[in-house]
Amino acid sequence: MDQIVLASTVMLAVVLLFLASGVWVAISLLAASIAALVLFTPVPAGSLLASSMWDASWNWALTALPLFVWMGEILSRTRLSSDMFSGVAPWVSRLPGRLLHVNVLSCGIMAAVAGSSAVTAATIGRMSLPELSRRGYNENMMIGTLAGSGTLGLLIPPSIVMIVYGVTAQQSVARLFIAGILPGLVLVLLFMGYVALWSMANAERMPAAEPRVKLRTKLWESRRLIPVLLLIIAVIGSIYGGIATPTEAATIGVVGSLALAAAYGGLSMATFMESLLAATRMSCMIAFIIGCAACLTIAVGFVDIPRALAGWVDSLGLSRYALLAVLAFFILVMGCFLEGISIIVLSASVMLPMLEAADVDLLWFGVFVVILIEAAQITPPVGFNLFVLQSLTGRSIWRITVATVPFFLILMLLLVVITMAPAVVTWLPGLMGRG
Amino acid sequence: MIRRVLDTLYLGSGYLAALFLALIAVAIILQVVGRSLGYVVDSTEIAGFFMAASSFFALAHTFKSGSHVRVTILAHALTGGTRRLLETWCCLAAAAATGYLAWHAIGLAWQSWDFEDISPGLLAIPFWIPQSAMAAGLVLLVVALLDEAVAVLRGRMPSYASGEDTALD
Repeated sequence: MDQIVLASTVMLAVVLLFLASGVWVAISLLAASIAALVLFTPVPAGSLLASSMWDASWNWALTALPLFVWMGEILSRTRLSSDMFSGVAPWVSRLPGRLLHVNVLSCGIMAAVAGSSAVTAATIGRMSLPELSRRGYNENMMIGTLAGSGTLGLLIPPSIVMIVYGVTAQQSVARLFIAGILPGLVLVLLFMGYVALWSMANAERMPAAEPRVKLRTKLWESRRLIPVLLLIIAVIGSIYGGIATPTEAATIGVVGSLALAAAYGGLSMATFMESLLAATRMSCMIAFIIGCAACLTIAVGFVDIPRALAGWVDSLGLSRYALLAVLAFFILVMGCFLEGISIIVLSASVMLPMLEAADVDLLWFGVFVVILIEAAQITPPVGFNLFVLQSLTGRSIWRITVATVPFFLILMLLLVVITMAPAVVTWLPGLMGRG
Repeated sequence: MIRRVLDTLYLGSGYLAALFLALIAVAIILQVVGRSLGYVVDSTEIAGFFMAASSFFALAHTFKSGSHVRVTILAHALTGGTRRLLETWCCLAAAAATGYLAWHAIGLAWQSWDFEDISPGLLAIPFWIPQSAMAAGLVLLVVALLDEAVAVLRGRMPSYASGEDTALD
């Protein structure tokens, strides 16, 4: 037991020292694994690490990842963002809160074709922020709705973070995707509800109403959104119907978005290569973290940390809720300094055995973790959506954080909702039948 | 001269990685089209190998462009000599850990070649081929890390930092 405590301390010290001093996340995980295996186990560390990394790197489930990343990169280079604004705006202009809902709804739609929250927020914000500020909307609400709804990219399928969780926790990516749909829609409603309430309470801070438009005009204005909606239905529908694996659905998505970009006239050789290279870098970064995390998992496994931790948690006799609350707290703290993928792989290697011991459904926990990571995207000092908003608006990170606080609280509310009513998560994937 | 050779290597392997990423899509398209025509095309394994090749060949290029994530709070708080000292530590520590892994990745590919290990799928591809992509990619990352360490020691700012700064400004 003392051996395990010592080994855990050394690993934790190495990870913290490396991360804090700015060594790349993936390599920090690798260094901790090397230290643990070399110092505390008799195994041939080098060859064990090389083969763990290799096994993690050619995983079939992982191949969906670069393709979904690419799909998002292609679509964010089209004129989708302006079409989104003009297509969604006429439908919400009579709701309390008016065009602020455009941010929420457009992000929801964009989230269904892009897998990351930064891409979602940046693509929508580029168009909607100038339009909204020209009409005189409250700046805090503009920023807050965008930063908050941008995180929908993680929850609404396809989702890069869910692929990473599925691969590390050995859960079906298809089922995870489907499990995210209902909580995603609930979150859209919660955000819209908050916008409506705020605007009724602050009527004097809202700009004048838009002129009324006829239904025919509305339909005509949104005609350009039809191909995107079809693409969403094709990608998510084929996964839900069990016709396609996530990788095949992602390929449909890539082909579909290339066709869309060509039809919009935004596809040149240069933008094609740009999107492909951006996707290559992004997926390389993620895959390397996953590979190094596989090394970490092997290392903590050989040192026997997960079993010891699970036994320790067991001996504490915590209730399920108390355990989840403690884990949520740790993930939120990590979320202040790390981005989502690092959090998932770091926590998966130590938390999953504890959860299994406590009888927590790992599919449900996947959605729970993703919501926490959405929150991590908007917690300072390191929150990727805050950075995106910072670069779009030129406002300070603290100003943006303040504007985002209500949306952070709504995410916490969603956590309570899915904990009290787990069916919100498990009902749809339960209908899918076989995994 | 060395500068140009190295930069061409990083960028070239980045393009190679992009090609492999596109090939994943091509392999899956063949599988879907084949299935609808009634042929059995199993792309799962080859797509996995393309995935690995893409990830590892892109390592150095991704590193140079500042796309590998790290915690920059401390680095951005420092300036001048102390900042360069910190960056040197980052590059050298990372080079040591990656170098250790790269060495054993070469060993892994060598062993697969020696034992004539082949993949379990229909294509029966010798494992040493995709595994050498892993070894090569990791070695190139070590080279890039040492390259940056030398640049920082000579008083320049690392090239990965410029990518990070524009992403956050």
